[in-house]
Amino acid sequence: MVASSISNAEQKDNSLSHIRLAPGDDKTRYQQSSYKTNSLSLAMRRGQAAKLYEIAKTPQLGLPVLAKDAVEQIDRNKIELGRKLFFDRRLSHNKTMSCAMCHIPEQGFSSNEVSRPIGFEGRAIKRNAPTILNIAFAKLLFWDARENQLAQQVWSPLLAANEMNNASIGAVIDLIKGDPEYLSLFDKAFGQVPDMLNIGQAIAQYERSLIAANSRFDQWLYGNSEGALSEQEIAGYQLFIGKASCSSCHTINSRDALFTDQKLHNTGLGYSTSMTKIPDMITVQLAPGVTAQVEQSVIQTVGGIKENDLGRYEVTTKPSDRWKFKTPSLRNVELTAPYMHDGSFKNLDDVLAFYSGGGVEHELLSPLIRRLNLNKLEQSQIVSFLKTLTGSEVRTLVADGLAAPIGDTILEPDE
Amino acid sequence: MNRINRSIVVSFLAVLAIGISATSSADETCMSPYMAKIVGQEDFVYVWTLGREGLGDEQDKMVTVDVNPISAQYGKVINSVSVGGRNEAHHSGFTDDRKYLWAGGLDSSKIFIFDVHTDPAKPTLHKTINNFVAKSGGVVGPHTFYALPGRMMITALSNNADHGGRTALVEYSNQGEYIATHWNPTDQDLRGAVKSGDYADGYGYDVRVLPRRNAMFTSSFTGWSNYMMDFGTLLQDSEAMKRFGNTVVKWTLHSRKPEKILDVPGAPLEIRCAWQPDHNYCFTTTALTSKIWLIYEDDKGEWHSKEVADIGDPSKIPLPVDISITSDDKGLWVQTFMDGKARYFDISDPFAPKQIYEKAIGSQLNMISQSWDGKRAYFTSSLLKNWDKKGAADEQFFKSYTWDGKDLKLEFEIDFKAEKLGSAHQMRFGAYGLYGMQRPDTTTQVESPSVDDGLASQ
Repeated sequence: MVASSISNAEQKDNSLSHIRLAPGDDKTRYQQSSYKTNSLSLAMRRGQAAKLYEIAKTPQLGLPVLAKDAVEQIDRNKIELGRKLFFDRRLSHNKTMSCAMCHIPEQGFSSNEVSRPIGFEGRAIKRNAPTILNIAFAKLLFWDARENQLAQQVWSPLLAANEMNNASIGAVIDLIKGDPEYLSLFDKAFGQVPDMLNIGQAIAQYERSLIAANSRFDQWLYGNSEGALSEQEIAGYQLFIGKASCSSCHTINSRDALFTDQKLHNTGLGYSTSMTKIPDMITVQLAPGVTAQVEQSVIQTVGGIKENDLGRYEVTTKPSDRWKFKTPSLRNVELTAPYMHDGSFKNLDDVLAFYSGGGVEHELLSPLIRRLNLNKLEQSQIVSFLKTLTGSEVRTLVADGLAAPIGDTILEPDE
Repeated sequence: MNRINRSIVVSFLAVLAIGISATSSADETCMSPYMAKIVGQEDFVYVWTLGREGLGDEQDKMVTVDVNPISAQYGKVINSVSVGGRNEAHHSGFTDDRKYLWAGGLDSSKIFIFDVHTDPAKPTLHKTINNFVAKSGGVVGPHTFYALPGRMMITALSNNADHGGRTALVEYSNQGEYIATHWNPTDQDLRGAVKSGDYADGYGYDVRVLPRRNAMFTSSFTGWSNYMMDFGTLLQDSEAMKRFGNTVVKWTLHSRKPEKILDVPGAPLEIRCAWQPDHNYCFTTTALTSKIWLIYEDDKGEWHSKEVADIGDPSKIPLPVDISITSDDKGLWVQTFMDGKARYFDISDPFAPKQIYEKAIGSQLNMISQSWDGKRAYFTSSLLKNWDKKGAADEQFFKSYTWDGKDLKLEFEIDFKAEKLGSAHQMRFGAYGLYGMQRPDTTTQVESPSVDDGLASQ
């Protein structure tokens, strides 16, 4: 019996070992002329369904225990239904966008391949796609914190003209009602036909099941596993809570760590984008190892007007809220490049360099942001530490996402 | 029909007599050799046109322009069929019998099949395929519609998993039935192909064939996230700019198996294969790196890619887009989008193309279609909805020129914005003579396909 269970465990691990936690179209070192492709086959992009219900219910090392009523609401059928909705491209005006087209499983449930994703007919979205991982613990939703409940939040992208662009709430409900399979799944999960509330609840239940903690850091700090972190990583942790004071916003508590204070701050990045002059020349990469300097005036001939972003101010119209954005959790941050509210930093090194320099000075800069004067070694130590925050079950969740059926129009051709 | 049957006999005899077909040429120089072609004056140009928000009926449409100089309607839009929605109308192609014109939407992945034979002056929407993505197993963005015998070979640009550039060829029957998906080779699954250089990106764009060499070629562009993005935003997104194709794949035509992956860095787009029976090569141009590349077979039967010329000043990113080879393989038209120029290269020596002529056609320029004899060339303006220029520079036109070998002379133009039509993209030719019809005022010469696919001598 013992041998058998070990064998099963090995089999489970092996069956997921091929799951890459990065884009299948690998562009690492693309800047260099020595770049070589390392691309995965889409025909072989197969995952493995996970027991999301168990994952949603089970506390994970490093995260707070969910409230009792939240746990009681977790429902196997609702998760399954929400998962189907999340990956259904038909839930957009022209049947091309699902939630998962921007929150891509193997890209950290975010979009690694663009700074800011695009939506319906290629319309611009002015902010980076945040990860859905651990969203169950987020009190503030959207970069400007304009929403506070996942079941409500779901409707914003469904209806936004630059995201899924559905004509109305009713149109979405009718679309879902028109599919007998969905009617059956809603009946099974809610004992109801689809409506505004239960559609939101179903998708929220799936999203809340994407919990990824029990990282090496958690095992080290909360699991008394002393060997879980290297000296470099521990040095990074000491800087994170000490000299660099990252943890004053990316909170670590004695029993758990969300790596966010659930607040909004102004780091100066948004101010800089809104208020400083854009450079006259831009370096554009044309091929591996090939770049060109392009004049901004040329770029403007083919570029639309970029939407401004004033952050929290757009919700409150309080001048003091200009360029405030919410503190994202840093869990699984290794998987969710590019970074910041606008995806303007391609890697964690750039993020550290920005904070080390004290953000961008202006009158609304958060007092928590100050020049840190971290040297290169210290910055690299913090980056090493951040890479210990990847949850132990992320691969299980990604594999589940890859196994989810993608909803596309299946009607026969019109005659 | 009599005319076409007679042509088939003539071509077949020619193959028997001299073992080659020395007269092949078409849109006419750029289309499938398996297709009947117009060798005289074309009657119509069908312009697959993008709908624009705030203009006319705002939706994509197939626009028919009368281009026969003896017609009373010469130079006029004589028909327009709206298809519903803005699908990112892009390219179109006829079935081998040239009775139907398949036109794709890169965004919606819908395929609109127009009947162009019942009344060539008034194409009608015959069928809409709206389940291409589901049928193909997740392929997004149908691009080139290329006629093979009884089949349409469709390239695509993206996929429904990550909206990136990995994609496939998808094969349909002429009747619109899905047949097969042929995934472009990736490192994980080369599908039997040899990775001859550094890249196996799995990207797609265009397809062309050399039947006598049992060869098929595909090129590589970029995925949905990039081709749908505002071009100015894209150029400034260094992460997104890494996601362009750098490969041409040589396939075995009959088995549809990828055979060899050739490195062609910088987004190789259109492929144009030479027509002459001893010219075993094709050209492609790279959009980002602004080069002409030759894809050629050496005397040992190996296929190679070679950079053979610059297009304009590559450091300025002129962005070469559509290209068109002349029927005698001596000239190559190359359009550059950013400066709106048509450039004519002498390719008598395919290893050393030389630009010998250029003319500014408009503020932006994409497609060209030339007549089989090269004497007429038509140009349109639109590249992609969100890549086209902004403001006044966003001219949208159809322009008809004559070419005397030295200069392009404008015959007429149609302003697609003033006509409330949209953004003019790809062009295909129509003629009464293809279907045994005669218009009251003229006669059109057509010729049936005379393909040497290597089987005639066996």
